[in-house]
Formats: sequence, C-alpha cells, structure tokens
Amino acid sequence: MSASTTKERPPEPGLTERLRLEVERAVQRSLKGVELFGAPPPTVGRTAKTVLHRRGTLSLYHYHATADEIYRVPLLCVMAPTNKAYILDLAPGQSLIEFLLARGYDVYMMDWNAPGDDERDLKIEDYVLDFIPDCLRRVQQDSGEDEVTLVGYCAGGMLSTIHVALTPEGPVKNLVCFTTPVDFSKMNLFRSMSDAKVFDVDKLVDSVGIIPADMVVAGFDALRPASRVAGQLRLWDNLWNDEFVKGFRMMDRWGNETLPLPGGYFRQTVKELLRGNALYEGTLRIGGRLVDLGKIKVPFLHVIAQYDHIVPPACAQPLVQRVGSRDKEEVMLPGGHVSIAAGPNAVKRMWPKLDSWLQKRST
Amino acid sequence: MATSLIPDPFQMWREALTKLEGNVNSLVTGGMDSQELMRSVHQLSNLSLGMQQAFEKAIGSYLARVNLPSRKDVSDLAAALQRVEDKLDRLLPASAAPAAPRPPRTRRPPPEEVAPAPAIESAAPAKASRRAKTATTRSRRRS
Repeated sequence: MSASTTKERPPEPGLTERLRLEVERAVQRSLKGVELFGAPPPTVGRTAKTVLHRRGTLSLYHYHATADEIYRVPLLCVMAPTNKAYILDLAPGQSLIEFLLARGYDVYMMDWNAPGDDERDLKIEDYVLDFIPDCLRRVQQDSGEDEVTLVGYCAGGMLSTIHVALTPEGPVKNLVCFTTPVDFSKMNLFRSMSDAKVFDVDKLVDSVGIIPADMVVAGFDALRPASRVAGQLRLWDNLWNDEFVKGFRMMDRWGNETLPLPGGYFRQTVKELLRGNALYEGTLRIGGRLVDLGKIKVPFLHVIAQYDHIVPPACAQPLVQRVGSRDKEEVMLPGGHVSIAAGPNAVKRMWPKLDSWLQKRST
Repeated sequence: MATSLIPDPFQMWREALTKLEGNVNSLVTGGMDSQELMRSVHQLSNLSLGMQQAFEKAIGSYLARVNLPSRKDVSDLAAALQRVEDKLDRLLPASAAPAAPRPPRTRRPPPEEVAPAPAIESAAPAKASRRAKTATTRSRRRS
C-alpha cells in the first residue's frame, strides 16, 4: 500500500549504464565542440518589428501584432542602457515579447545602441526628460491612444520610475518595473567598487568619455568572479545537449554585447545614486526638479528576483513602499536578475503574472 | 529496481563545481570590502585601460598613415548604412502598398479574471477625463 501513497523515484542507472552514457556524451562533446567553433552567432530578436525611430543611442521598435484583437493601452518597454533589449526576445518560445503579442498586447520597445562620441555627456536627464517622453509621443501617435503602460527592466525601470515621478500628469497609465534598484546602500559590492576613496570617477570619465563595454562587463563579473569560468565548464559538460548549448550561446551573446555607457550617465550613477543614494533619500534632482516617488499615483507592479545578485531584493523592495499609488503590488519570484525575465522559470512564473496584472489595466 | 549504491563520479563532479563556484564567489566578494583590494583592482583596471587606449591610438595612427579604415570606421559606416536601410524600410511600404490594417483595440480580459476596479477616489475624476480624451483620440485613430 505504501507504494501507492509515496512517490516512486525513478530507478538509478547502474555503473555500466552510467559509463556507457558518459562515453556517448564524450563522443558527442567532441563532435559538437568542433561544430561549435565554426557555428555562426545564434540568431536572436526574431519577432517581426518595425523601427519607428532611431536617434543616436536610442532605437524605438514596434512589434507586429499577432492577435486578432488587442488591448487598448499599448506597452512601451524601456531597456536598461547597459544591455540590448533582445534578452526579452531571445527565441521563439523564449520570448516575453512573443508571449505578450500572443496575449493581445500592442508592444513597443526602447532599445539602445552603443553611444557615439557626441553622446558622451548624456545624463539621466536626457533619458528621463527627452528619450522617454519622445518615445511616448511617438507611441501615442502610432497607436492613436493617449495612455501608455511603461514597462522598465532594471535601470530601465529606474528611468521609467523617475520619469513618472516627474510627470505624474501622464500619459503613463500603468507602471511596471522588473528588478529595479532604489536603495543603492544595499548594493554593497557596487558601492565598494565605486567608493570615492578608491575610485576617481571624474578622472576616468574625463579621460575616456564613453565607458568601454569591457569595463561595464568587468563590473558585473566582479559580483560573481567564478561564474564565467564555471559557466564554460558547464558548457563543456553539456556540449552533447543541443538545447543547453543553444540557450547558453544566446545568453553568452547577450552578455558579450553589453553596451558602453555615456560618461555623463555613468558619473551621475556613481556619484548621486551609488554614493549619495539620492533616489532613496529623496534628494535626487533631475532637470532642477526633486524626484519624489510619492508623486507616482498610477497602478504599479514591481517584480523582484529572490536570488538577484545585481539588484538584491533589499535594494529593490523599498520602491513599492515609496510610490504613492493606491493600486500597487510587489511580487518576489524565485530566480536571478536575468532568469526572472528570460528563461524557463520566467515562462512559468513571471510572464503569466505580468499578463494577469496587465490585462485588467489595459482596457 | 536497479538502485546503485556506488556514487556517480560525474554527478559528484557537477555538484563540486557548483559548490566551488559559490565558495569562490563568496570569498572574493567578501574581500571586496577591503579598500586596499579595491584600490589595487582599480589600479589594475586603469593600467589595462591605459594600455588599451595607447595600443588603439598607435594602431589608429598606423592605419591612418597607410590610408586604411579602422574597425571603428567600418562599424560607423555599417551603422550609417543600417540607418539608411531602416529609413528606406519605413518609406518603401508606404509608397508601394497600403499599410496592413491593425487589429481593433477592443480586447477585454477573460470574464473570470476581471477584478473589481481599485477604489482610487482622488484619481477617479482625472481618470474619467482621461477616458473622455481617449475616446476622442480613438475616433481620430487611423485604420
């Protein structure tokens, strides 16, 4: 009787079977390893889209609707300026964009290109008071709708939040943030790295103008210094597994295509956000105006990743407490900074949650 | 049932790798609290950046001398071409064929998932006025 009530474990393979399996995998590794060297970079961001606007570092896309009937309020996604937006559109079946289109949303995306030399002085002001409002106007014009939902990822969420705090009169109808930092005092490692006693940000920015992508990548890698090597070892171990290799290569490509940052934006991030914690303290001034998160009154959703090593939950959680919206919700889901938005866990957990929250507020 | 008592060395290796990764990450990031370590890391980074800049400058001067484009020149040219192509893509369909009709914006959430609207008394009038404004916009909407 006990067999019917307890869950049966699958039989473990014997030693001979394990050895046979490992030999088979070793052969596959050799064959596929050779293939891998000659393989072109994986194709990403394949969902059909139109480039509505491009201006220097900014690109605005409109994804082609796939549903017969769509929700009234369009979504404008804002990517973090350090990374390309195709992390949200990796491949069919692994694309948040594809999912949202299938669920009947009209989706626009603010993506970033490597800034040119003439954009070295871009600051948070330029993103919040120029790029975002410009794209909102273009989305309004293209969609014919006055109201727009802003969806920001990481620093894109922070820029969206600052924008809404400074323009509470609209046209943003809903605000959704993924893993968005607000209390920078909880970003211990980034703060140590940017401490004024050990790091002269002015000297760096004045000498390079644009912060090289390698330096941005090194900053992220420093948070988990062993993970890159461990990742390569796991790739070797799983070379026989086509699905693993495909997923690994797409994520690897995305990581390697990290963008350089305008020096002005970097300087402001280091001095005002990391050192001064000005957004959390309520002392951040953008365009001469104080950023008061309490002025945000639109419906607000914040999705936080439980195991996020870049924006730890303690750094993101105060956001929902600070915004002045009555209709606000914070959801903490198991996952890391990237896997919360892209990957098998995102498909199962975050995407359905996002859809159920948005659909009630998109009509 | 073939349950083996012999441990799987490959699985042990995988688990050891995960454990080692976690331990090394903790050890190194724990050490980042040290100002001396961080100062050394930044010095190393500055040195590397300085060397990279000097190397790029030297290569740039050489390429300019032999009248060849640098990688940056080629990238800039490719980006400029891409921008021209993007603009052409936007212009051509408009002149060749009418834009495909867009789906109507009439979708409603599934009935079982409709939740009561949140009571936001202070925002209600503003919302009503915004809805009225939207209705006007809808009538202007292009097909």
